[in-house]
Amino acid sequence: MKFSSLKGYAFLYLVFLYAPIVLLPVFAFNSGTIIAFPLKGFTLDWFRDLFANQTLGLALKNSLIIAVSTSILSTTLGVFAARAGTRFKFPGKPGVMGLIMLPLVLPEIIIASSLLVVLLAVGMPLSLFTVILGHTLMATPYAIAVLNAAFSSLDRSLEEAAYDLGETKWSTFRLIILPLVTPGIISSALMSFTISLDEFIVAFSLAGKETTLPIYIFSQLRFPKQIPMIMALGTCLVVASIVLLATAEYFRRRGLAKTGAKDTGGFL
Amino acid sequence: MTQLNAARAPLDSRAKMIEFHEVHKYYGDYHALRGISATIREGEFFSLLGPSGCGKTTLLRTIAGFEDISSGAVLIDGKDMSDVAPNKRPTNMVFQSYAIFPHLTVGENVGFGLRRDPRSKAEKAKAVEEALEMVGLKGYGARAAHALSGGQRQRVALARALILKPKVLLLDEPLSALDKKIREQMQVELIKLQREVGITFVLVTHDQEEALVMSDRIAVMFEGEIAQLADPETLYRRPNSRRVADFIGVMNFLPAQILGEANGHVQLDVGGLGRFEVTEEQASARASGAEPVVGFRPETLTILYEGQQAHDREAPATIDEVVYYGDMTYYDVKLDGVAAPVRISMRNVFGRPVLDVGTRTRVAWSPGALVLFR
Repeated sequence: MKFSSLKGYAFLYLVFLYAPIVLLPVFAFNSGTIIAFPLKGFTLDWFRDLFANQTLGLALKNSLIIAVSTSILSTTLGVFAARAGTRFKFPGKPGVMGLIMLPLVLPEIIIASSLLVVLLAVGMPLSLFTVILGHTLMATPYAIAVLNAAFSSLDRSLEEAAYDLGETKWSTFRLIILPLVTPGIISSALMSFTISLDEFIVAFSLAGKETTLPIYIFSQLRFPKQIPMIMALGTCLVVASIVLLATAEYFRRRGLAKTGAKDTGGFL
Repeated sequence: MTQLNAARAPLDSRAKMIEFHEVHKYYGDYHALRGISATIREGEFFSLLGPSGCGKTTLLRTIAGFEDISSGAVLIDGKDMSDVAPNKRPTNMVFQSYAIFPHLTVGENVGFGLRRDPRSKAEKAKAVEEALEMVGLKGYGARAAHALSGGQRQRVALARALILKPKVLLLDEPLSALDKKIREQMQVELIKLQREVGITFVLVTHDQEEALVMSDRIAVMFEGEIAQLADPETLYRRPNSRRVADFIGVMNFLPAQILGEANGHVQLDVGGLGRFEVTEEQASARASGAEPVVGFRPETLTILYEGQQAHDREAPATIDEVVYYGDMTYYDVKLDGVAAPVRISMRNVFGRPVLDVGTRTRVAWSPGALVLFR
C-alpha cells in the first residue's frame, strides 16, 4: 500500500488526540477511587456526588453567565468590526484591524496581568463582570475571524439591490445581510462561548472571590479523592460539547440548503 | 432595433428623462468620468458601450445614486438628483450578478420592493404574479430563488426591478453571464419588454453586437469620455474616429494620402485602390497629427468570380487566408501593392465555391462605402 505509512500516522494521531477523552467516561463509571487499570466495577456514585455538589453548581452557574455574556458581547462587537472591515475603507484601517486582532497572539498571562493592573488602577472591584470583560477581549478576535469570512462572502450588490428597491440602510442590514450571515454568527457565538467556558488564567486573575468551572476543577485536582467526580464532570462536558456542535452543524447545513450556498466546511 | 421601434414617436420630440451636465467623477487622483454631458429621452433604449474601465458602469451608478459625482449634475425627469438617495430615486437596477436574495423565494424576491407599499396582501400577491408572468415565469413564485438557472435569475431580477414601475430601468451588463443562445434570446425579449412597459432602459455593455441589436442610441465611451453618441446604424457606418470604428465590429484600414479638397469633396490616393474622391460627410473631423487612413467594413467589399462585373470599381488582389464559418466565409486578401491584408466577408451561396488560398482575384469596391479618418 502506497499510503500505509500516512494511514498509520493518521491513526496514531487520532489515538493520541482522543484516547484521553475516551478514558473520561471509562473512569467516570468505575467504582474504584484510584484512576488506574484494572477497572473495579460499575457505579453512578460520582455523578451523584457531582450533582449534589453545591460549590460546583455555583461555579458552573458563574461560568455559564460569563460564557453566555462573552459570547453575546464578542459576537456583537465582531459583527460591527467584520462589517466595517469588509465593507468600508477608512484611514488607518490596517492598523486598527491589526490592533483588534492582537490579543490572538498575546500570551494570556500577559493579558490577565495587564488587565488586572488596569482594573485595580481604575478601582473597579473584581467580579464576574471583570471576567466577562477579559474574556470578551480574548474572544473578540476569534469572533471577527469567523465573521469576516461570513461577511466577505456576501455579494455587495445584494445590499445595493435592497437599497435600490426602497429599503433603508438599516432595514437592508436586517432583511438581507443579517439572515445571510446567521451561520457565521452562530459559529462565532459558539466559539466565543467555548473559549470563555474553559478559560482559566484570565478568570483566575480577575474573578476575585468568585469561582468559575475551570478554577473549581483546578482547585479539586489537589484532592485525589475528588478525581473520579472530575472525570464524571468531564464526561458531562464532552457530551454537552458534542450535542452543542451537532446542533450548530444542523442549523448551519439547513441554512446552506435554504440559500443554496456552497458548503465551505463547518464544525463537523 | 429600429424596426421594432418604428411606430413610436421620434426621439427628439420626447421628454428628457435623464440629463448629464458636465459630470466629473474622481476616485482620489483617478479621473473616472471626464465631463459627461448627454440627454436620454423618455422611453428610449439607451446603451453605454465601451471597454472595461471606460467609466460606463460608474456613469450608470451615478443614475442609480450608488456613486456620488464630484462635480456637474445628474437630472432625472427634470429633477436634480444630487440630494436624493438611491432608495428615493425613480430608478431600479438589474445587477450584473442579478443580486437575487438567496434566502427568499422567487415570489418574495419579486415582491421585495413592495414591502412599504400600502396595498393589501392579496393585491401585492397579484402584482407579483403579474410581474412574473410578464417575464415568463408564471407559477414560479414559491420556488427557492437559488435553485434557478442563470436565465431565470435574470428574469427574476427584471421582474423585481419592474414591479416598482420605475421611470428608468438600469441594466448593468445583464446578459454577460449567460451563454450565447440564451443571451440572444434574452436580447429580443428585453427589446419586447421595453416596448411593452414603455419606460427608459439604460444598458451597460462591453458587447458591441448587443448594443447594436438592442439600442435606440448608443454612447461609446473611452477613458471616462463619450467618444460618439449616435444610433446604431450611424455608429456602424459613420464612426467618428478610428478608435470607435475599431471597437464596433471589424474595420479595415488603409493608409491614405490627401491630395486636395474642393467643393465638399476630398481627393485621395490610397495604395491598392488608386485615386478617387469621397464626400466631406464620409470624412471624420480633423485630428491633429494623425496619419490619414480610409476605413471600410468587410461586407462592403466583394470578391468577384469569373465573369462577374463590378458595379463601381475593382482592384486586383490575392487571397491570403480563408476562414470558413458555415454561413459566411472570411477572406483575408492582399490588394496588389499593399502588404497588410484586408478582411472581406462573403455570404456563402449555394453553387459558389469557397476560394483557395493563393487564388488571384478581383475585389469590387465603392468609394461611397469608405470612411476617411484624418
